[in-house]
Amino acid sequence: MGALALVVQRIANALRLVLRTPSGRIGLPILLVHFILATIGPWLAPYSATEFQQPLVETQLQPPSWEFLFGTDQFGRDILSRVMSGATTLIAVSVSGAALGIALGAAIGMSSGYRGGRIDEIVMRVMDGLMSFPSLLLALLVMAMLGNRPAPIEALQSNWQNILIVITIGVVTLPRVARVIRSVTLSLKTLEFVQSARLRGEGSAYIIFREILPNTLPVLGVEASVRLSYAILTISSLGFLGLGVQPPSPDWGLMLAQSRQFLGHAPWVAMAPAGAIASLVVGVNLVSDGVKQASGLPQEATT
Amino acid sequence: MSQHALDGAPLLEVKDLAVAFHTPRGTFRAIRNASLTVHRGELVGLVGESGCGKSTLAFAVMGYLPDTADVGGSLRFEGNEISKMSDAELCELRGNRIAMVYQDPATSLTPTMRVGAQIQEVLREHLRMDAERARERTVELFESVRLADPAAVGMRFPHELSGGQQQRVVIAMALACDPDLLIMDEPTTGLDVTTEATILDLVADLKTRVNAGILYVSHNLGVIARVADRVSVMYAGQTIEEADVRDLFKNPRHPYTAGLLSCVPKPLGASGAVTKLSAIPGSVYPAGEGDVEACLFADRCPSVQDACREQAPPMALTDVGSSSRCLFWAGVRPGMWGADEEREEALPTNGAEPVLTAKSIRRFYGSWKRKYLFFGPRVQPPVRAVTDVDFTVGRGRTLGIVGESGSGKTTVARAVVGLVPLTGGENQLHGEALARNVDDRTRGQQAAMRMVFQNPTASLNPKMPVRHAILRSLKKFTSLNSRERRERAVELMEAVGLSADYLSRRPGELSGGQQQRVALAGAFAGSADVIVADEAVSALDVSVQAQVLNLLKAHQREEGVSYIFISHDLAVVRYVSDDILVLYAGHVAECGPADSVLAAPSHPYTEALLSAAPVPDPDAEPTRIRLEGAVPTLREAFKGCFFAGRCPRKIGSVCDEKPPPARTGPGSAEHVIYCHIPVDELAEMQQPGADPVDATSASSR
Amino acid sequence: MLRFLIARLSTIGVTLLVVSGAIFVVTEILPGDVAQMMLKKEATEERLAALRAELNLDRPAHVRYLSWIGGVVRGDFGDSYVQKRPISEIVPRRIAHSLVLALFALVLGVPVAVAAGVWAGVRPDTLWDRVVSTVGLVGISLPEFVTGVMLMLVLASTLHWLPPSSHILAGTTPWTRPEILVMPALTLMGVLFAYIMRMTRANVMEVMQTPYVRTAVLKGLPMRRVILRHVLPNAMLPTITIIATNFGWMLGGLIIVENVFSYPGLGQLLLRSIQTRDVPLLEALSLLIAATYAFSNLVADLAYTALNPRIRYA
Repeated sequence: MGALALVVQRIANALRLVLRTPSGRIGLPILLVHFILATIGPWLAPYSATEFQQPLVETQLQPPSWEFLFGTDQFGRDILSRVMSGATTLIAVSVSGAALGIALGAAIGMSSGYRGGRIDEIVMRVMDGLMSFPSLLLALLVMAMLGNRPAPIEALQSNWQNILIVITIGVVTLPRVARVIRSVTLSLKTLEFVQSARLRGEGSAYIIFREILPNTLPVLGVEASVRLSYAILTISSLGFLGLGVQPPSPDWGLMLAQSRQFLGHAPWVAMAPAGAIASLVVGVNLVSDGVKQASGLPQEATT
Repeated sequence: MSQHALDGAPLLEVKDLAVAFHTPRGTFRAIRNASLTVHRGELVGLVGESGCGKSTLAFAVMGYLPDTADVGGSLRFEGNEISKMSDAELCELRGNRIAMVYQDPATSLTPTMRVGAQIQEVLREHLRMDAERARERTVELFESVRLADPAAVGMRFPHELSGGQQQRVVIAMALACDPDLLIMDEPTTGLDVTTEATILDLVADLKTRVNAGILYVSHNLGVIARVADRVSVMYAGQTIEEADVRDLFKNPRHPYTAGLLSCVPKPLGASGAVTKLSAIPGSVYPAGEGDVEACLFADRCPSVQDACREQAPPMALTDVGSSSRCLFWAGVRPGMWGADEEREEALPTNGAEPVLTAKSIRRFYGSWKRKYLFFGPRVQPPVRAVTDVDFTVGRGRTLGIVGESGSGKTTVARAVVGLVPLTGGENQLHGEALARNVDDRTRGQQAAMRMVFQNPTASLNPKMPVRHAILRSLKKFTSLNSRERRERAVELMEAVGLSADYLSRRPGELSGGQQQRVALAGAFAGSADVIVADEAVSALDVSVQAQVLNLLKAHQREEGVSYIFISHDLAVVRYVSDDILVLYAGHVAECGPADSVLAAPSHPYTEALLSAAPVPDPDAEPTRIRLEGAVPTLREAFKGCFFAGRCPRKIGSVCDEKPPPARTGPGSAEHVIYCHIPVDELAEMQQPGADPVDATSASSR
Repeated sequence: MLRFLIARLSTIGVTLLVVSGAIFVVTEILPGDVAQMMLKKEATEERLAALRAELNLDRPAHVRYLSWIGGVVRGDFGDSYVQKRPISEIVPRRIAHSLVLALFALVLGVPVAVAAGVWAGVRPDTLWDRVVSTVGLVGISLPEFVTGVMLMLVLASTLHWLPPSSHILAGTTPWTRPEILVMPALTLMGVLFAYIMRMTRANVMEVMQTPYVRTAVLKGLPMRRVILRHVLPNAMLPTITIIATNFGWMLGGLIIVENVFSYPGLGQLLLRSIQTRDVPLLEALSLLIAATYAFSNLVADLAYTALNPRIRYA
């Protein structure tokens, strides 16, 4: 329990530091709005996100009005409600995917870097291999080939596509995080306090988790925010190409893809989801810049 | 001092300078009140410990301070206020009238440009020379700083030069436009002692050759004694004493100056006795604090009076003509920090029972490389960092290991404790072979051998409270329960002079000296038999260095622990060691009891090291032996003598063809010199007054 | 240098082998029955069996992999299932189209991005820096399809300056109607520009803090010279690596951009091959993209080595 309180306190401290930077001051509130909408958006939405408004003829492709703030789409659905409900799956999936990749990447990067030698060499070659593939292409391949097949376990079926996306994002995130954390570990392990721990007879696991891990946290914080923004970009791109998160949850990418048909006479259909994606990613990137400034790391973005 | 210095207006006049930096974390007063003057033709030393503001002063003179700096007081060059100059005026001044030499030559040269081009652009910018003329002038400049092969050096990139050569290039660059004022900011810090000596020779020579004023910034009193005419001492952002160099060293008139002088290990006097080091207690008045109406040194001063805490002392003229920022300068005596008592000798344990023995230990780095990666002829052998080194450490004794960087000192230390596995040979603890890797040693062996590192800041995990490392050591190496461990940790902290409440602080809140004492407490935790100290005091200021050295000595007397003490600083090694091992290029050059090794006859390499070490005495005779170049990176076994390439006393082809024999010194059977020259001949050569050798002609370049 | 090249080329070789294996596993072994997908409702047992035999699907997976990879090595990628003709005939024209687009974006985007980044990095916290930084932040935050659709909305649907679709009529080249390249190239450039600009700015800011730049300033050189001779060469070294990484990343962006604007390049072909389950074509394209990516990184490393005097491979 004490450990949990400590973790909460550390996170609170970190957030306070980020809030002190100009980027953090703008970015955190934007993110907060998105996260609130993601949790309670579907209940706040004035209309159902999926049901067609009746009668269809009178309600389809209506421009923004007091009744429909952002207008309606080709099926007469309220765009505001759809945008509000779209955040839930997108954020849940991208956060889990990024978290999975960061956790595995950090673990692999730290142990491989600390171990060194031939194992490290092999691990890093595998990571290079994984990285020599554009993330979006890998995600496309996985979704196209596995997305419409039945899940290996019946219980996963209802979320199968989302699980696939989470795993794919994890796989594309992992090598990039591993590479960064490994290089941090390589420089940390030559430092005297790590050598001291070895001289005390501490085991590798102790050294990795108690001596090295705490010192990688600022870098991990930056990585987490950068990777999250890439996850969101990749997932919404998948949605745009029609291979995104599972229906019936509205998908901002897909909404934008479909809006192209009426771009000439109903531009509002495109505006709302575009704004939603843009503000979400801008928010994440602002926070990411804030974390970088607050942690005193060089401004250089990570690749 | 030349005639110019005595008459006429000063070239540089700094008066009541104050520089504060405004940062998000508060205001830092880097300089509170500094005044000094530099005249044409004189060299003014500016000395002080880290954080005293001396580098800030140097950059303020260049008009190079960040926008967050707030400058007060006045800073005049030939009567013109520097802080009021426009960018264009500064450009005209910098590199032309005022030039600077920097602390770290390796990072001060642009890595992507050839060094010749970096000098030519100054000539073309300020003197409007054409390309051809600039090239010629560059070669002349390289000659004037005594760079070997001046015509070719210009085509090299900075990383292709040794540290000493890089610094000569930087000096040549500073001299390019015949500046009126030359600022040298710690130009030899970070260079090897042998290189430092050659650069100091150059500076001493420049002083007579160029008609400029020189401001020489350094933390090293020995260096200042060697080159300066006048000296200003800085403390906590104030200049606290300003004197002629002889007066400063003989008749200091500020307690801080007197303290600094008694912190420095003296060279072995004629009596052969080593005096105990005094230490200045406490630490420097922090730059983050506001200004106070009191003497900033009051809290550390041994003769502090009530008046010192009630007013800020002004600069006062003293009896010897110097100025001192002390109300009671008349009471300052060189011995005020404790009498020159004899150092208490360690247990007289000549021929003591050996605790640790190294038998022909070797360590090579890397493996053979092949021409086409996996196949083809083997093209590059591994680096031979340490080759067949033997030594023994007796119970309660200290073995000092000296040598330039690249000589293999640190590799020996790491191989002994098991941080890098040996490639060959064996270490024995109490006669039992030690596993090559620390992870494979027994808990008892791990407890018996501890290490203290050079960099105190990196020795403690920055994310963990100070108690972490001490408690973990106690847990691993003692059978105490957790309450007892906490009590023992408090005792250990008190033993190194720190109060118990430091245990819960973060390492970042401690000063370098305090961090190093915490590291010592951790090393003392497991009642070790041998403690390896790798440059353990090199990163510390002299006053703090003395505290740590005294702690080490005291612990040895009480516990009978043995030390392996590694340092590039001969004076420090001489102060702590019973035995000394001189390493060169991974080979033992000379070893034996400290007194025998440091007295003639010595190995020519030891002689060169001794000769190069700066002595904090302005009247010390200039030394003769100089080494050029650096320790070679070894990939092949030597056919002849390992030192033949740089040896100033090389006798001929035998040095290149046969490995040197081990010769026993005259005083002690344990004193061994590896040299082709017989010991009695060495003794003759090294007599005071013997013919000096021409080092440059004998050296490799 | 030779050792370095051999090391890098062998790494690339191994990487591509692993990647080809992975592609093969994902596309052929996992996805169930390709024959079933191709025939859909017309699938009868006989027709399925015939098709499997025709596509060699009845042979064991490792045999198929070896024969595929053997063909790839000889430049034979097999036939497209859907178009029923050799892939080596279909792909070159598409490569040319994508290359035109990518080069267009690179040539226009990179110099501007580098210039803007240097300008901002030299004088941080000025108005210009703030503007450029904001543009950069928004740029890396907008996915290509958002930028693309927005451009379409403004330049095509509202202002009618440009055609909304960038399809190329049969028998013509992109240069027949160069205006169709404008919007796709702008979209690609958006992210590329923002990314390279941010990197350049960060690198320049870092180099500006180094002791050697301080030396250059204190030599009394004018700022222009300090930046051109001392800052730029050093700040550009890491930037080169970034540009190469981005080239690979741009390949991903091409998939989106070409689909937004119906531009017939590799990306569009790739998405179509996914939609139609044209497995051999998909495999060939994936491998091609991985190889391009790997080689662009090699080129970056070589450029880095050539420009950095500190690295000399024995």
